[in-house]
Amino acid sequence: MANNIIALFLGAAFGFSLNKAGLTRYNKIVNVFRFTDLSVLKFMMTALVVAMSGLYALRGLGLITFPRIPETYIVGNLVGGLIFGVGMALAGY
Amino acid sequence: MNWIKTQFQKELWSPYVAGVLLGIVGVLAVWLSDSLLGASGAFENLAGLVGKAIAPKLFDNLYFNFIMPPGITWGVILLVGVFFGGTVGALTSRTAKIRTMDDAQWKRIFGPQVWKRWLLLFVGAIILQYGAGIAGGCTSGLAISGGMLLAPAAFLFMAGMFASGILVALIVYRRRY
Repeated sequence: MANNIIALFLGAAFGFSLNKAGLTRYNKIVNVFRFTDLSVLKFMMTALVVAMSGLYALRGLGLITFPRIPETYIVGNLVGGLIFGVGMALAGY
Repeated sequence: MNWIKTQFQKELWSPYVAGVLLGIVGVLAVWLSDSLLGASGAFENLAGLVGKAIAPKLFDNLYFNFIMPPGITWGVILLVGVFFGGTVGALTSRTAKIRTMDDAQWKRIFGPQVWKRWLLLFVGAIILQYGAGIAGGCTSGLAISGGMLLAPAAFLFMAGMFASGILVALIVYRRRY
């Protein structure tokens, strides 16, 4: 139960950050592929850098263990990414 | 206090600030719940739940039995939260409204017909979800959550996503690129 409440709050913060970054808009998503508005990239990379340093610092301190890391299948990840990109550029979400 | 209020009422934040918020959420998800943020996986859990109820034979396969077992998972609850968080974000900036996806940029390129937008969105979303299923995650579940654990899969996925996204945008927008 506590876990579900955490999920709800984290999800809310997630949705809030997406909304405030403007990633709920068609033009923001598509324009990153046209190099006219790099918000998506800035948003993703900032999140990555913050989370990466936070997680590795916490693991270094012995406070957390990592969950199951997404498996690597080179062809699967790459082909999936290629298909995903087509959908993302068409749908714009 | 006033400063915080003005910040909340802003329609758009700097993507760097919003990114820091998401980064913190990503850390907390691992710390508090030992889970990764993800949207497409939760969608598949839900799809499996619905599918098993409607067409149990069709959904009785390896994928829906073992790889993405149906159910109300942590990710599904997260998605509910995402919906409310997005609503709160739009309400605080007074931009919340019910609309038919009449994006100005779209209309300039493809014309004013809304049904075209809906059709292309539907097709795009199917392709997108299919790709996410193959890769094992979407932008949030694989690219961001995997990337923050330095999973090689995330970086392969991002490379693929941007390569084909740029190409499709180039084709769709042609001379207006």
